[in-house]
Amino acid sequence: MGIAPILAVTQPAFWPLTLILFLPAIVAGILALPLIPRGKDDSIRWVGLATTIAVFVLSLWMAVPAIFGTGSAGQFTVGEAGMQAVVDQPWIPAFNINYLLGVDGISMPLVLLTTFLSVLAAAASWPIEKHVRPYWILFLLLETGMIGVFVSLDFFLFYVFWEVMLLPMYFLIGIWGGPRREYAAIKFFLYTLAGSVLMLLAILMLYFASDVGTLSDEQLIASHVVSPVLEGTERTAALAAIHSAHDAGKPVHTFNLLALAAIGQSQNSPFAATSFWGMTLESWAFLLLLIGFVIKVPVVPVHTWLPDAHVEAPTPISMILAGVLLKLGGYGIIRICYPICPGAGLSFAWLVCGLGVVSMVYGAFAALAQKDFKRMVAYSSVSHMGYVMLGLGVWSAVDGHGYQWDAWAQGVNGAMFQMLAHGISSAGMFFMVGVLYDRVHHRNLEEFGGIFNRMPLYASLAVAIFFAGLGLPGMCGFIGEVLVTLSSWNYSRLLAVCSAFTVILTAAYILWAIQRVYLGAEYKGPHGDHLTPMTRRELAIAVPLVVLAVVFGVAPQLIFNYVTPTVNRQVETLAEWTRGHDGASASAGAAASTDSEKAEFQAAIDSFSVGGGR
Amino acid sequence: MDLESLLPTLLGLAWLLPLVSFAVILFAGPRLGDHGKGAAGVATAAIVGSFVLSLLAFISWVAQHPVHAVAHDDHGGAHASADGAHGSPASHDSASSHDSQGSESAHRTVDEGAGHAGQPVSYSGDWYTLYEGGRLRLTIGWYVDALTVLMFVMITFIATCIHVYASGYMHDELHDITDHEVHLADGSHLHRPGRFHRFFQALSLFCFSMLGIVIAGNLAMVFIFWELVGICSWFLIGFYYERKSASNAANKAFIVNRIGDFGMLIGLMALWGALGTLHFADSTGLDGHARPGLFSLVRPPVARHAQLVPDGMVKFAAAEKVAEVLRSHADDPRAGVEQVEAKVEDWRREGYGKWLLLVAGLGIFCGCIGKSAQFPLFVWLPDAMEGPTPVSALVHSATMVAAGVYLVGRFYPVLTPDALLVIAYVGAITLFIAATIALVANDIKRVLAYSTVSQLGYMMLALGVGGWLAGLFHLVTHAFFKSLLFLCSGSVIHACHTNDMRKMGGLAKVMPWTSGTMLVGCLAIIGAGVPFLDIGLSGYYSKDSILAQALLFARENPSHSILFYAVAGGAMLTAFYMFRLWFMTFAGQPRDHHVHEHAHESPPVMVYPLVALSVLAVVAGWTLPGGFGIANMIDQARPAGTGGTELGGLLFRAFTVPAEHASHAHNIHVTASLTAFATAASGVLLAAAMYVWRVISPAAVAAAAKPLYTFLANRWYFDEIYRFLFVLPVLGMSRLVSATDTGVIDKFIEGLAWGAKQVAGFDAWLDRTFIDGFVNGTANATWHAGLELKKLQTGQLRQYVMFIALGTVAIFVLAGLLLHSSFAG
Repeated sequence: MGIAPILAVTQPAFWPLTLILFLPAIVAGILALPLIPRGKDDSIRWVGLATTIAVFVLSLWMAVPAIFGTGSAGQFTVGEAGMQAVVDQPWIPAFNINYLLGVDGISMPLVLLTTFLSVLAAAASWPIEKHVRPYWILFLLLETGMIGVFVSLDFFLFYVFWEVMLLPMYFLIGIWGGPRREYAAIKFFLYTLAGSVLMLLAILMLYFASDVGTLSDEQLIASHVVSPVLEGTERTAALAAIHSAHDAGKPVHTFNLLALAAIGQSQNSPFAATSFWGMTLESWAFLLLLIGFVIKVPVVPVHTWLPDAHVEAPTPISMILAGVLLKLGGYGIIRICYPICPGAGLSFAWLVCGLGVVSMVYGAFAALAQKDFKRMVAYSSVSHMGYVMLGLGVWSAVDGHGYQWDAWAQGVNGAMFQMLAHGISSAGMFFMVGVLYDRVHHRNLEEFGGIFNRMPLYASLAVAIFFAGLGLPGMCGFIGEVLVTLSSWNYSRLLAVCSAFTVILTAAYILWAIQRVYLGAEYKGPHGDHLTPMTRRELAIAVPLVVLAVVFGVAPQLIFNYVTPTVNRQVETLAEWTRGHDGASASAGAAASTDSEKAEFQAAIDSFSVGGGR
Repeated sequence: MDLESLLPTLLGLAWLLPLVSFAVILFAGPRLGDHGKGAAGVATAAIVGSFVLSLLAFISWVAQHPVHAVAHDDHGGAHASADGAHGSPASHDSASSHDSQGSESAHRTVDEGAGHAGQPVSYSGDWYTLYEGGRLRLTIGWYVDALTVLMFVMITFIATCIHVYASGYMHDELHDITDHEVHLADGSHLHRPGRFHRFFQALSLFCFSMLGIVIAGNLAMVFIFWELVGICSWFLIGFYYERKSASNAANKAFIVNRIGDFGMLIGLMALWGALGTLHFADSTGLDGHARPGLFSLVRPPVARHAQLVPDGMVKFAAAEKVAEVLRSHADDPRAGVEQVEAKVEDWRREGYGKWLLLVAGLGIFCGCIGKSAQFPLFVWLPDAMEGPTPVSALVHSATMVAAGVYLVGRFYPVLTPDALLVIAYVGAITLFIAATIALVANDIKRVLAYSTVSQLGYMMLALGVGGWLAGLFHLVTHAFFKSLLFLCSGSVIHACHTNDMRKMGGLAKVMPWTSGTMLVGCLAIIGAGVPFLDIGLSGYYSKDSILAQALLFARENPSHSILFYAVAGGAMLTAFYMFRLWFMTFAGQPRDHHVHEHAHESPPVMVYPLVALSVLAVVAGWTLPGGFGIANMIDQARPAGTGGTELGGLLFRAFTVPAEHASHAHNIHVTASLTAFATAASGVLLAAAMYVWRVISPAAVAAAAKPLYTFLANRWYFDEIYRFLFVLPVLGMSRLVSATDTGVIDKFIEGLAWGAKQVAGFDAWLDRTFIDGFVNGTANATWHAGLELKKLQTGQLRQYVMFIALGTVAIFVLAGLLLHSSFAG
């Protein structure tokens, strides 16, 4: 048999996705071998950069078929809501653990963001002179870890990548960081590890409570528990095996995220049936997962690792940290928490939204007080990621609003946009701080000034990217913020007002920082003679970020084309679930149940439009 | 081409031309001619192009919809009933769409002949969708009516004048500059290269953004360009960014405006959340379904455009009742929905949603408070005078600050009578405070700045007391004479190199053109005219109609008569401080001979715009025989249903907002004209007595009323009070938050870490003692490895990294093998 069965897989996305995922890790493994002799640091850098570029081009080939000509198998179809490019191979059959990958409108843009920022961060890694080989090995492993989290559809695999990502990050901060790097690295590690442990607990809880035998044949095939590739008798046999086990009272557990979501949203969800200490298993799992994810986001009060990690991390690692790692938290909530635990999601929506708004306001206040440029930017991330939480949480499809899902979908779409926009703007802001730090070796906001006259091109680009952070229309920061803020009103007036209030603070801390650093007559700090213009390499990093910040601000459909179909379908499903949930509790079983009745109800709801149907 | 597709094309191009100019200067800036001199040409060409296109739009509008005097009938109810037939939804031509223009949909609302309670003629549609999900849609689109066309012509004309003027005024920036206001650490002055092209770059972006507000077809688009004019203003105020005062003023302007935007966002949320649309006019979704816009939701044609709390807001406010009804019909959802619809009328009568509508209106008005520098957010505008004078003329007097007034006028149908009364009071307070400060200011630009604030207060007050036309008419006339006044002051500053009026005097002889045109501006702003002949400068007509409407309002609501006294008193203060300015600057003997000797008339490129603007400052208010005039043209755009009397009484005790045409009644009109004349004349005479004839000594007056003088000279201590009430608490709060992070949360985490380290130490001891040397590759070991890192020497690092790399690879090799075995199995 040998390796042949692996190569002969019938799933067209197997090789593209696997390559995108593992190419960095493979190159990291090769770099670990003594093939490139000592002292050839530049060769290592070029290999690393070339790898990230190759991965980026591959992901671009997959995500944007329009560029390369459409039609190839394994490419992503833009505008389709469902899971695509699914790769489904058994991995550890004893525990039903599969090598199950796939992308949809939520994960595909995030994968692209990851591979794109990895290229820029790799280019920004040139000045790193210390332990070049280990640095690049860890850097590439980190990339595999990040992509892996976004494409995994098996919860166990997800967790493995989550951990794979954690360790390189820890070393990258702890070894290549600033003076307090050890403190920052340990802090990062403890926070994230605490989150991971809780997440593992939740994973196991869900695994052991799950039973794919409760799902219908269609659901089993749709969620790839039974591979759609199987035909005829093989398929029948696989389905029969599951059902017979179920009938025999032997539940078939699963780590399959799609199957877990189908189970969690079913009428008699086993997750809602069991309780410990007064809360359903669903609620426990939701909270444990939520803690794990919000530490990554991060939200107040579990955010204090972020400013320290950023201040100590080298520039490229800050870019990755802010640009990609924070998004893993938001991704986890939208991909895992809500679909798998909808009941808990509904009852804890206030918690998600509340944490979001607290982070927005708290982060903005904290940013205003900072004296360290990078710390200020770090707190702005806390504030901006608060919008993501708020947008994800605004579960306003409730009975008083006639189960209208529009406003909620707008919030989630806004949150997704905000994640991608923040990926661009925060990476840009950290890079801009890094450019200055490389020259004058300090970050004290009180000791800058006059940079506009000393480095006009740099200052223009920097101010542009800070404006994106400010949420200026025409820049990427605006769309996400405004969609989230507008959507929050239907969920809670109080939270909406607080989130609107943040715009004042945001303007204050960003403009004040711009004034202190870039405006003014002369530079007040040390090493003034080192304020040289940007190099070509630096421009090659900064310009794409600024261009994208404008492009996404002017043409948000570029992102929404991917995101909206998937998000809307998920939100619509959960809104429908809410109606079933309410209906079941209000008058057991009396709610519209047949398809025709549902359609009729939907027609009635449409006439009940928010706009008033005159 | 019919108007429906012609107007959006012309105005859309007029709107985009300055953006093209911005992009060209942005990328080619310094290479455009000598030291970027060509930038002025590019920007001016673009704005002239915009002006020509706007003029074409204007002409085609007037050709199609002749401007004539609106026949007033005095029976408010009569035309409302006649209107029912015209205003029915059938006249909404919603099916038309124009792919040829790339527009996604287009709408035309025509209801001619219905008098001014009917729908005004307007064209609307969408160019571009920013977001669409479910029923919700945010777009970039247009809403064009007579007001839009007029505003385009006004803005592009003034902007053209100012571009021409600025190419002379900013001449210094073509060379290296020594900025005498900036002292460097070594005691020298700042020496820097000029940035002529950057000025025109920002000016072009401003024109694009400003026109965007005017053409906007929905409130989201207004908000987008609202923020963009804000940032342009930031760039232009902070043009001399080396000066601390300039960058402070720029930040202050933007942040204070954001406070207003905070309120505006709440207003947007209230509308969006309950109504699901921000479009002014009815629109068509991408799905082809017609969606009613804000105007027809709040003033439904079937209700003859009377203001109603829209269904969406009623249901939103009564969400619990809605839920109750739906729950009680859980077995038959369709019946539940029908039941809800049937109950909406009852709920509306019970008052559900009326507060929401008020909040929406006041929220949007908050944005206008910030942008139009109204009390309590007016403090940024005087500081904004740090920008170059052409900027003050264009951005901070004629256009951007008027955007707030424009938006109140545009949004008028949605504003409830109570919101209007709040607006009136805000306007009254603003006009009074600003006028009093202007009395004692000595900086020529600051006098004009406070005058602008005061005049904007007039416009707000006019809108608030039901004078929709009066307020917007004054907006247009004021734009002409105030930009003229600013450009004149710039000409003076250019000649004297100082802003301080105490160093001027007697300049009329050396600067005849400037002094003459400025006199025209002063006469226009005080509303000079002959009452019984009804002839005057532009300000005469607009100010009279404001006075008349305020008087009418005061008569109908005696408890609010103070609004009229504010207007009348303000008129006198205006006359005084404007002529104080003119006399101090141009009349009498020179006060500072050094300044006077160097003074000279400005070059022609700066004088021509003064003359052009002064002509308009004279004629802009005139109505030609046959009825053609700005006032009548604005009146074509009067929102449906807002011409009549409205009753309020939610925030205030019951009151009436009188119909505007009633203020044309003879007795009201005559009283108002005489009041205007008397107050203006007394103000001018007082100024002359103090500064020309010197029968009253200004110094003696100041000494006699020392506390009052100090109070006014310190601008009512607003900056100090705000610093104490808002700035310091916010900074204190930010420090508190930051201290919580390091002092509370981190201390707690560090305590945990200390504990974890103890556990890890114990664990390590266990390992060494019992499981000696055994590395099991579980999470436990990686945890351990991580914590031990602190003790690592870098020599061991390579091994650790190798371990991680190989470990990761090993996991997946293992995966491959298991995969293999599973296939085999």
